[in-house]
Amino acid sequence: MTRPSGGWWATRRNRQFALIVCFLLPSLVVFFLYRLLPLGWNVILSFQAWSPLKPAQWIGLENYAEMWAYDDVFWVALKNTLIFIAASPLAIAAALGIALLVNSDLKGAAVYRTIVFLSYPLMAVAVGIIWRWMYDERGGIINYALRASGLTTRPIGFLQDFDWALPSVIFAEVWQVIGFYMIILLTGLQSIPPNLYEAAHIDGAPARARFFRITVPMLRPSLFLCAVVGILNSFGSFDLVYIMTNGGPGHATELLITHIYKSAFVQSKFDYAAALTVVQFGLLVILTVAANRAAGGNVGAVERD
Amino acid sequence: MATVSLRSVRKSYDAQEVVHGVDLEVADQEFVVLVGPSGCGKSTLLRMIAGLEDISGGEIAIGDRVVNEIDPKDRDVAMVFQDYALYPHLTVFQNIAFSLQYRGVGKADIARRVAQAAAILDIESLLDRKPRQLSGGQRQRVAMGRAIVREPKVFLFDEPLSNLDAKLRVQMRTEIKKLRERVRTTAIYVTHDQVEAMTLADRIVLMHNGRVEQIGTPEDVYDEPATLFVAGFVGASAMNLVAGRVENGAQGCAVILGNGARLALPASRFEAHADMPVTVGLRPEHLHWSHYGTPSLQGTARVVEPLGSDTLVVFDLAGCELQARLPPRLVRRAGDPVSVAIAPEAIHLFDPATGHRL
Repeated sequence: MTRPSGGWWATRRNRQFALIVCFLLPSLVVFFLYRLLPLGWNVILSFQAWSPLKPAQWIGLENYAEMWAYDDVFWVALKNTLIFIAASPLAIAAALGIALLVNSDLKGAAVYRTIVFLSYPLMAVAVGIIWRWMYDERGGIINYALRASGLTTRPIGFLQDFDWALPSVIFAEVWQVIGFYMIILLTGLQSIPPNLYEAAHIDGAPARARFFRITVPMLRPSLFLCAVVGILNSFGSFDLVYIMTNGGPGHATELLITHIYKSAFVQSKFDYAAALTVVQFGLLVILTVAANRAAGGNVGAVERD
Repeated sequence: MATVSLRSVRKSYDAQEVVHGVDLEVADQEFVVLVGPSGCGKSTLLRMIAGLEDISGGEIAIGDRVVNEIDPKDRDVAMVFQDYALYPHLTVFQNIAFSLQYRGVGKADIARRVAQAAAILDIESLLDRKPRQLSGGQRQRVAMGRAIVREPKVFLFDEPLSNLDAKLRVQMRTEIKKLRERVRTTAIYVTHDQVEAMTLADRIVLMHNGRVEQIGTPEDVYDEPATLFVAGFVGASAMNLVAGRVENGAQGCAVILGNGARLALPASRFEAHADMPVTVGLRPEHLHWSHYGTPSLQGTARVVEPLGSDTLVVFDLAGCELQARLPPRLVRRAGDPVSVAIAPEAIHLFDPATGHRL
């Protein structure tokens, strides 16, 4: 046996490896510089006392203790974020309903599909502004419609009222993302072989059973994909809240993400914002992993026989 | 236990009619195969019997009951689909038990009946698996299990073997035949494969362009094809169909092929068709090597395909190209002389204008 001479470069395997590295490197550099490095630095920062003009000082868990014991806004923001997340199953259910309708023989289904999806590519800032107008107390179309139909006599300050603000923001958020859910679910629905329904029909399964025993289990990966996207969206809907209410009235629509923003860039508490970010990140990872586990580890996959 | 009656059944999609009035009586316990090329309407007809397609005209009855307006689940039929239609997220047991759960069968009863069906199909060891862990043949068995566990009045098979490879298909064909001996339920089976049709059927329904061409036992359709279409469709190697002319002369009745080859016809049967142009049908397996003494047709081999057990020879006879299935080693290569004969009874004549058998 003679080994090819020329050292490391001579074997085909190693040359291929070098090529793979070359292709991966640009993405890895970006990923490292803009994701891993800030995240790592953020974790370190969360254990320090630091502001732009002072040298960093190691203070251990003090930022976290402050969050736990003294920061009422943190708890409000956490609660609101969880409510935001809890709304996504409702949105997914609504999207499933629309997807089922659009998937039926309904006349003009393609048109409805496009209309429903149109909201998704809109910029969140634009969505925020549109909905702010619609919710407006004096000139908003929703108040106009409510009064014209006689449902209310006095205008509702949707974004100013402590009880209405959060549901109103969530509704706008759901309105935007529902088209995305619908497309995901529609794709899932269309990948279910129609003869499964025919077989079930002949087998005698009533419509309800066909839905729960075929549609839902076959859609499971798509449903969980929506759930994961919903969780991510809830954590990230900074722009929408920022535009519509900026966390107000009071802290009624404060989310973790807006709280982080305000701590860092309004109050210049970068160290404390870092700790908040770590908590948000941890929560995000836990929920996402849990959702993926619940889906059997195949979120987004298409199950076939 | 039920008969199935189709009375001038029609199907149209919008203005286009795809099934043009089919009449068929399936006897109790009979195994009927609908066969024809793709697009002939056989699957549509089966789906109408199952209730998966509306009936545009005519009547379908199962037993004494007209089922036109009856929901598929209440027709008491079971269907085996081409791609099995197993529920991918359910185990084999759950797949087979599925229909029983909606028919008010008790748990213990379900377990017993599933076990029984599994035993018949030899899939007892697979009951805990999911469909994706099964091979094609095993999935096919599960699909059958799902049908037989119901003990329905009628089995409907929609090309159940089409997705299997050639070897497995032959094997499963035999299995279906065996199963048939154990479970004698009325069955309607759709296929495009004439071998499957011939081997499985009590009676064959040959369909073409939405019409029934012929209904009969496998022997009937082979021995006496009613139309040119049936003649060309049935048979392991396709029947030779060539133009000819009937002649009723001093030497008796005969048909003349191409530029002069003369085939004697049975006396008297075709006398009325004297001088008529006809299409002559000769099965390759009926053209036999002619021995000394028998009047023979002389031709020249063009293509020789040895199959081992016999040899397919394409040869030129009086300007017509014919195929014959001959014993091995008589004709070796292209250019060799071919000398064949055919019994007068084995000659089929068709009217080229209508395509009907004379």
